[in-house]
Amino acid sequence: MDLPEVTFKNISFGFVNESILDGFSFQAPAGQHTVLKGESGSGKSTMLQLILGFYQSKEGHVLIDGQPRQPRVVRKQSAWLPQDLDLGDDSVRNVMLRPFDFAANKSQKPSEAQLEEYLQRLGLGADNLDKAFRDLSTGQRQRVGLAVCSLLDKSLLLLDEPTSALDAASKRKVAELLLDSKRTIISTSHDPFWVERADRLIELD
Amino acid sequence: MEIIDLSWLQIAIAFVILLLPAYVLWRYRTGLNRKLLTASVRMVLQLLFVGYYLEYLFAYDNPWINAAWILVMVAVADFATVDRSDLRQKAKVLVPIFGATFLGIGLIDLYFLEVVIQLPKLLAAQYTIPITGMVLGNCLRSNVIGINAFYYSLDEHKERYQFYLASGATRAEALRPFISQALQKSANPTLASMATIGLVSLPGMMTGQILSGSSPLIAIKYQIMIMVAIFSGTVLSVFLGILFTNFFVFEDTDMLDESILKK
Repeated sequence: MDLPEVTFKNISFGFVNESILDGFSFQAPAGQHTVLKGESGSGKSTMLQLILGFYQSKEGHVLIDGQPRQPRVVRKQSAWLPQDLDLGDDSVRNVMLRPFDFAANKSQKPSEAQLEEYLQRLGLGADNLDKAFRDLSTGQRQRVGLAVCSLLDKSLLLLDEPTSALDAASKRKVAELLLDSKRTIISTSHDPFWVERADRLIELD
Repeated sequence: MEIIDLSWLQIAIAFVILLLPAYVLWRYRTGLNRKLLTASVRMVLQLLFVGYYLEYLFAYDNPWINAAWILVMVAVADFATVDRSDLRQKAKVLVPIFGATFLGIGLIDLYFLEVVIQLPKLLAAQYTIPITGMVLGNCLRSNVIGINAFYYSLDEHKERYQFYLASGATRAEALRPFISQALQKSANPTLASMATIGLVSLPGMMTGQILSGSSPLIAIKYQIMIMVAIFSGTVLSVFLGILFTNFFVFEDTDMLDESILKK
């Protein structure tokens, strides 16, 4: 698996009447864990969405391995955990399997045993597979999302506040599952536990 | 028995009964009486216009004129659909919904009028106009439910759509659950009325036929046919409406052009 390097080169971005990033640059080296740390509203989550091409910068470029990123290409090599994951009222099993119905992921469709294993690695019992996703707590939903991101086995992980709703034991399990594997990871966090585990820390004003 | 014609005086007497609901609405300060007055005046004027227009349409009974009338009905339904779906009247929405409704109605009309009923004359007004009107009226209602459900659900659950895209889905794959939900919402009312028809209410077309002297057995055959036509037309027009608008309302990055929403 080729691990991508992500570069922000003089990125300016904002919404109507609100500038969020002004000529911002940083580099997330291939195979390392880069953490974006900053106050709420500093643009951390937006930066992950800029990488995925959900927004377009006004100026500057997002580069993947030195080339301007193509949204549809980068989405095929990435997995993203949004801050507040809402995947509807279907069962946890169906929610976890849904991304594997997409042509790009069909060949990696996990077995029932793998679904159970990944949930258990994050401290969730297999009985959760039959529960409605909507009925889980925020922390449980977050861990299901992280299990899906991990099962997708992509070379670029974009994680928005991945430990914000987790207790200390769950945080350790998430770190073991995700940070021990060889991937390029860009995450946003205020959490000292997670920030300490960064190979590279980018502080936003 | 011949049908009893109503004089305008009898129509005026019919309106007197409205005083009862108007009193209830006034007593409970619903503020709906002004709307009731406007709606009643509009109803009378619109139906007067249509009544006189249809007299000419039936007298000429020309397939070209009948087809032109269908086009006018589809165009009016198009503007009403977009407005009531809380979308902005933009060409990128109006044109595809017009195309979808016209294609849906065209297919249903051709199939039911020419293949099932086998009209002796192409697009004969006596059959074409009422059947098209009934199917189109239901398509309008379902389009409003389906198109509104699709675009507003997509806006409300934007992160879910983005999560699918970010997991490697194509735009069509990421939109599939939203289309499924919109189809369910729009088809459910017609399915419910199909399941209870005849038990809870006598449908309008059947009532009209019986009043004008048809035997109830002929009336139910037409009613069965029209329900099948309505269900097929509504699902088809909602599906095509979503499919056709999707070509125009997404940016190159697969994000919805939110300027189409009246939020």
